[in-house]
Amino acid sequence: MTQTNTAAFVRVEGILLARGVLSAAAYLAANAKKFGERAVRLGLVGLAAPVHRLLGQTDRALAHRLAHLAIRGMSQDRVEVLCEEYAEDVLKDTILDQGLELLKRLQAEGRRVVLLSDSIEPIMKPLARHLKHYDELVYNKIEFEDGEATGKLLDPVIGSNVGGRWLDDYAAAHDFELSRCAAYGAHGPDMLLLSRVGKPCAVNPDFVLRRSAKDADWPIIDYRD
Amino acid sequence: MNTPISIKHSYAGRHVLLTGVTGFLGKVWLAMVLQYVPDVGKIYVLTRKKALRPAADRFERQVQTSPCFRPLHEKYGADMSRFISERIEVVSGDVSQPDMGVEDPAVLARLRRDIDLVINCAGLVDFDPDLREAMTTNVEGARNAANFVAACDKAVLLHISTCYVTGKKNGLIPEVIRPDLSPDGQPFDVEVECAEVQVSIDAILAEHESPEMDKRAHDDAVKQIRDKGGDENNAMLVRNTARRIKRNLLKDAMVAEGQRRAGRWGFTNIYTYTKNMAEAWIARRLDPGRWSMFRPAIVESSMSYPFPGWNQGFNTCGPLSYALGSWFRHLPCKQGNPFDIIPVDYVCRGMTVAGAALMRGEHAPVYQCGSSDLNLLTIDRAVELVALAHRKHLRTRGDTTLDRVVKSRWDAIAVTPDHPMRIENIRKMTESVDEWLRDPPKGWPEFLRRRLGDLVEHTEDALESIDKIERMCELYLPFIHDNYFAFVTRNLLRHPVVEPEWDCDPRSIDWRHYWIDVHIPGLRKWCFPLFENKTPESYAPRHPFRLRSPEAAPAPHAEVV
Repeated sequence: MTQTNTAAFVRVEGILLARGVLSAAAYLAANAKKFGERAVRLGLVGLAAPVHRLLGQTDRALAHRLAHLAIRGMSQDRVEVLCEEYAEDVLKDTILDQGLELLKRLQAEGRRVVLLSDSIEPIMKPLARHLKHYDELVYNKIEFEDGEATGKLLDPVIGSNVGGRWLDDYAAAHDFELSRCAAYGAHGPDMLLLSRVGKPCAVNPDFVLRRSAKDADWPIIDYRD
Repeated sequence: MNTPISIKHSYAGRHVLLTGVTGFLGKVWLAMVLQYVPDVGKIYVLTRKKALRPAADRFERQVQTSPCFRPLHEKYGADMSRFISERIEVVSGDVSQPDMGVEDPAVLARLRRDIDLVINCAGLVDFDPDLREAMTTNVEGARNAANFVAACDKAVLLHISTCYVTGKKNGLIPEVIRPDLSPDGQPFDVEVECAEVQVSIDAILAEHESPEMDKRAHDDAVKQIRDKGGDENNAMLVRNTARRIKRNLLKDAMVAEGQRRAGRWGFTNIYTYTKNMAEAWIARRLDPGRWSMFRPAIVESSMSYPFPGWNQGFNTCGPLSYALGSWFRHLPCKQGNPFDIIPVDYVCRGMTVAGAALMRGEHAPVYQCGSSDLNLLTIDRAVELVALAHRKHLRTRGDTTLDRVVKSRWDAIAVTPDHPMRIENIRKMTESVDEWLRDPPKGWPEFLRRRLGDLVEHTEDALESIDKIERMCELYLPFIHDNYFAFVTRNLLRHPVVEPEWDCDPRSIDWRHYWIDVHIPGLRKWCFPLFENKTPESYAPRHPFRLRSPEAAPAPHAEVV
């Protein structure tokens, strides 16, 4: 059955990929230019980890901002080379086959598949070559000034607010009726996104989202150990 | 802005004399023009004969074996010999001789009548060569080229120089020529300077022919033979060793004198000093309508033609990049200083555009061709890109686990010359270790002392490498630390080009892609093997190339537009 003007919004982390933002930040930090610098940056990621764990359940935007502060001052060349390396050597192997199957099914239903990723552009662009069955990939963008990363994520930060104004703007631009759209989330902050669409679904949900999905009677799919 | 230049039309039917065709630049230019302007008139390539090898043989070998001609071989296949022979005539000569060393009067007369453009690529590009050789090739060569052009009916001269002829200067360096001034602003007369150089050379030669020098060389030879455990009573061995020592002493004295004179006027080295004198001679000898100076910055691997990454063995970046891929990790330089690299195919395109403008009479006196003005690459960024390129290679293709795990993650960095890990300190440290290994504590067991003694050969190797790196750093410091060179490169852009394949705007260069995917892999293939005494990959076309005689290959009769 083909549906027109309907979309499926799918969170990448947790549904398509087994690794999240902290892992990427740690990889970048561990491969900074100097040894001392590596230790300091890894320390920053280490500090961001518990914050990410706590806030990640409710506000991923702030958690992402904190994690990416660890790459502040790194050259754009290094960030982009390392990100490509990370995507090719690490992330590519963590793509979940069941996630790709889900995308295939959604596309077969005639939906426009929009992938929402917390990761930054230099990681997602090379990774996009290995993803399939999607129409659009939305990711975070990091700011560079004079060839150096400022550590700042550019607005809108894909994390918590995709259920808000960003979603309204996107739906309006593409003439989508949100009540006919589907959304697949994996984390607590995805609740906002899931609650705005007609067909929400929790995939491999974390504790917060699982509880809310049960309360709201949303379907739950589990395929990760 | 001038009217757009069509390279095809500008060169169609025009006859060009090219010197320095065996060099990196000359070869790429020739291949490029033959590839994209097949309607060009005759290209006369001035080549020296060497020993018993005629000039034509040398040229034939270049076309036959150099990967630079690969695209042409692939395009023309079995027809390559005919195609090249119809367009090229090898002229036996030597740019350092009067009349360019062309001995046959009939050929000389024909050249003077027919040539439209002379491109003088010949030159000695070593930074600090023997002063005599630099004067002969760089100064006399340019002087002879100017005299030759003056005697031609219509020829104009595009002289290939270098941006660094401007000497030790800081900031934006304009595209101007001041033959009457030295870089530090002193009045400079090239004729007087050349005469003084000759006097110095004669004095050094006289000193080296003195009995005192003979005695010194003899004593040194005996000592050297004795140290190596040879027979110091072998008269022939002593004589030959003394001759070699004397030759080296003479060369050292010539280099030292060249460096002294270059430094006195504010030049960075003998190369830039002699190249500046070459420009001065040309400007003095020819009318302004008949010459242009083309000054490339640091010419490196090609971006796309003949194929990405092509370079011809040793070049400026090669030793530096190679050293940064070894255990040497702290390059002394000044962060933010430009590192003015320009791919060879961009330079060749620029030369072709400047040559066309010169033949049309729309030329500027100086064309600088670099990247620091319009697409700045700083030395610290270059070092980081080298490190990232080595990382990419070592992680996947490193020879040993040490390479793949440690070396790939230990990045080269740009540091100030007083950094604690500077090469001078590393040498001192290695020397101390070497000394200790040679004489370990007396009380230690004999077998351990012997084992430690065996390690001395490693410290000796390390000290030899450190010595090479120290000399390299010394050579490069004027360019990467002492001066801030940023060359204005606007004159070339004043000539818009009709054909996109001749676009030479450096703003189109993506440095990251160039260094990581093009330049360093190119150096790894064509240059690094030479440092390891290996032979780089050679090329063998499917259809052998043979230059046919001029009678068998008449000149193409293209219409001049």
